[in-house]
Amino acid sequence: MTIGQITVQDVSKRFRLERNRPSSLKEALLRTGRRDIDDFWVLRNVDFEIEPGAFFGLIGHNGSGKSTLLRLIANIHRPTSGQITTEGRMSALLELGSGFHPDLTGRENVYLNGAMLGLSRRHMNETMDKIIDFSGIGDFIDEPVKIYSSGMYVRLGFAVSVNVDPEILLVDEVIAVGDEAFQRRCMDHMNQLREKGCTIVLVSHNAGLMEELCDTIAWLDHGRVLELGEAAPVLEKYLEHMRGGGTTLTTRD
Amino acid sequence: MLKLSPTAQKSANLVYHFAQRETKSRFKRSLLGWFWSFANPLTTVAVYSFVFGVVYRASPPATENGNAENFGFFLFSGLITWNLFTGIVNGCMGWLQSISDLRKKVYFPTETALLGGAASNALQTGLEALVLVVIMAVLSNLSWTVVFLLVALVFTIAFGLGIGFVAAIMNARYRDIFYLVGVLLNVGFFLVPIVYQVSMVPEQKWGLPIRALVEWNPPALFVGIARDGVYFLQVPTLGHLVAASAWAGLTLTIGWRYFRARSMEISEES
Repeated sequence: MTIGQITVQDVSKRFRLERNRPSSLKEALLRTGRRDIDDFWVLRNVDFEIEPGAFFGLIGHNGSGKSTLLRLIANIHRPTSGQITTEGRMSALLELGSGFHPDLTGRENVYLNGAMLGLSRRHMNETMDKIIDFSGIGDFIDEPVKIYSSGMYVRLGFAVSVNVDPEILLVDEVIAVGDEAFQRRCMDHMNQLREKGCTIVLVSHNAGLMEELCDTIAWLDHGRVLELGEAAPVLEKYLEHMRGGGTTLTTRD
Repeated sequence: MLKLSPTAQKSANLVYHFAQRETKSRFKRSLLGWFWSFANPLTTVAVYSFVFGVVYRASPPATENGNAENFGFFLFSGLITWNLFTGIVNGCMGWLQSISDLRKKVYFPTETALLGGAASNALQTGLEALVLVVIMAVLSNLSWTVVFLLVALVFTIAFGLGIGFVAAIMNARYRDIFYLVGVLLNVGFFLVPIVYQVSMVPEQKWGLPIRALVEWNPPALFVGIARDGVYFLQVPTLGHLVAASAWAGLTLTIGWRYFRARSMEISEES
């Protein structure tokens, strides 16, 4: 495999929803009745490959499984069946405050994130100024991140993600939180990373953003890949579907 | 310099990070910092010395040259090992809990948090042991057998981690494991010969081989080996050493396997 490649082989993910799940040992031991287990298949037989250097988009309605797929690629969850392989240093920005420990200061969190990515302290020392500068956090860098505003969280998270020389970058819509100027910088930076050969996977339901950035898009619907291919045609079909009253909203209850 | 694979290097960095964080956070907001880490075992030693040495007038077990015969040192030599064990077991549950939110958002090998926490505990115990060894040296009750103190502490770390790995995973699902373990450890403190000696235990009681049970349970073996090395200045019996290493090795292996098999599920626990 080459660096930056992502292979998703026949991946399915089931979440078990246990109604009245025993939350204490006593309940678990004394339970006599059957357990109510609902299986919820978030993803079914998803199978594709992302080439190194691609800017790949995942689009779909709420609950289509796109965020779960991103988490599986990020190795946060393990697929129920199938296999995902990634090659290269991977940085993931999945949600607000992704990868930050609330009690640590911004600076400590940056070091922690670096350690998680396998970067040495020396490397992080060299990158620290760049990260602080990019995030625009200023003196707050030495305050615990729990006092940060949501915008600051995301800015610092993004600054770390893109400044640690990732070979694969996973982004889940978070950039929508920052202001206009920051969003612009994020996009510029993602384009720069792409030019360096970094593989980027972006999850969003903002078709405009997707069209501007992605070259390949997978459209997920109820856990299956409905369309996969070049950005423009897939987006067109997606938008058409959405306009056609295809608001296939599902809830996960 | 040891050359590690990138994955191992990454894990080592994280272990270091978590160890540092644990060490810092333990005393972050306290004025006297490390003093507090000694205050707890020292007061325990003082209280038990008073109760057993003064009130019950128990004479401390004889040492090699009779210089260090003091109930406090006898206790301290056992307490060091026991506190390391309980510190790691209780810690494992807390450490895993403290990183579970983080683990839902980013991947990293979860065991690094537990290993880092254990390393921080081991460092503190190392300092306590150093204090004891220095006192023993001053009282000229020291011999090469002091290496068995180190051996006992290594066994204790391995055994404590083995138990801690299992307890941490179970506690992630059932929060009352934490309390259950607390109760068991409380009982354990008195079932392990820390405030008394194995020889004081009756051989048989209620039809049970009480003395053998007290002598051969794993924490008791570790306590005994540590005490042989630093207080009695004897070489522990081969049987004790073999049994202790078997307990430590087996428990660590089982705990580690259990942890590795389940640790990916941590991100899915609510």
